Amino acid sequence: MSMVEFDNVTKAFGDLVVLHELDFAVERGEVVFVVGPSGSGKSTLLRCINALEPITDGALFVEGRNVADPRTNIREIRREAGMVFQQFNLFPHMSALGNVAYGVRRVRGKSRREAEAIAMPLLEKVGMADRADHYPDELSGGQAQRVAIARALAVNPDLMLFDEPTSALDPELRYEVLRVMRDVVEAGMTMIVVTHEMSFAREVGTRLLFMDEGRIALDGDPRELMAAPPNQRFADFLVHIQ
Amino acid sequence: MQFDFSVIPQALPELFAGARLTLYITVVGLLGGFAIGVVAGTARAYGNRAVNAIAMAYIELIRGTPIVVQVMFIYFAMPILLDVRLDALTSAVSAIVINAGAYIAEIVRGALLSISRGYIEAGKALGITRWQLFRDIIGPLAFRRLVPPLGNQCIISLKDTSLFIVIGVAELTRQGQEVMASTFRAVEIWSTVAVLYLAMTLTMTLALRLIEKRMKIL
Repeated sequence: MSMVEFDNVTKAFGDLVVLHELDFAVERGEVVFVVGPSGSGKSTLLRCINALEPITDGALFVEGRNVADPRTNIREIRREAGMVFQQFNLFPHMSALGNVAYGVRRVRGKSRREAEAIAMPLLEKVGMADRADHYPDELSGGQAQRVAIARALAVNPDLMLFDEPTSALDPELRYEVLRVMRDVVEAGMTMIVVTHEMSFAREVGTRLLFMDEGRIALDGDPRELMAAPPNQRFADFLVHIQ
Repeated sequence: MQFDFSVIPQALPELFAGARLTLYITVVGLLGGFAIGVVAGTARAYGNRAVNAIAMAYIELIRGTPIVVQVMFIYFAMPILLDVRLDALTSAVSAIVINAGAYIAEIVRGALLSISRGYIEAGKALGITRWQLFRDIIGPLAFRRLVPPLGNQCIISLKDTSLFIVIGVAELTRQGQEVMASTFRAVEIWSTVAVLYLAMTLTMTLALRLIEKRMKIL
């Protein structure tokens, strides 16, 4: 069973079709980078997986559960697919520790004490243990995003979805987030990452999807694709992004 | 012009009794109004079309009619129309409940809709239930935005209780008039009544400032 399987998935906002009959699968352990020009449907693709966007047509399976099936409990899918957002979206009324512990308490049914016992080592892992009691507005963007990654990991998902995790960060803060993401890769997590960080994709990615106008234009090994761009669109994209 | 301030201490027990009743009507009325406001405001923000229409009809009906008419309707018209007889105090409390409820509903709706979609999506993405999302994320964040306009409504409702003089509830303004009728000291009595209202509204303002300060975020 594939971790994620797109089966002829179409997504439209009104008359605007943003994903055209996508057909591909992501297997356990893959680290898939999704790149492409803005407006090509990368983020929408990601958001369809955990049903933040309902798909318009086709079927989309996450660990065998079809998000488009009304009998599917969407919450079960979301518990297995942690998500990291461009704008972090940490809950502003909870401390860093509270943010990470929250999902564990509600989704995994742990007590506050048990949840914090799970959350604290995760904060340590992302290098934020010394900021555990700080509130999101007291954290830098890079720190907030590291806490957000810990929050998503805390509920113990099988899959991690990253939606432009470094795009809102100053260049010098991106590195600390990428370092944490590299740790997540090394832990063997299945990941789908929408990003413009091409060198990071080349370094840790096992697969690269190049999206263009709602279609997957290229699908292959990041190093090979970037060493010898198979088409002009991708070659232009690589030039523009640098 | 001659003032006789000695009437004030004599009048104070009656005026204090009136102030107590004013506070009672305000506090009980606002508690009920808050409950209705949360329900109606949530219906406006998240309800389906039918629920939304009901909430909107209620809000527009109440906001579009004067509170004096509303309390007269409850006290004088309801017994004829529905054979429901409420005493003056209950009518007064009910008028604040439905009146403040309509205004608070709009405050609640605004606060709910002001919550950034990002926080809601972050909650959803964790796999929590809709109720948990509302109770743990949207509710607490919206409440912080609620406090300043809610304070405003508290003060308005407190002062609105003075209009219940029309159904003879022994609230502060009514008590002031009673004392006036026996002493004829308008300046002394109405000044005292004004000071008592001011003391109550300023206390409310102060309490709300404290609440706002304690909720530092947003």
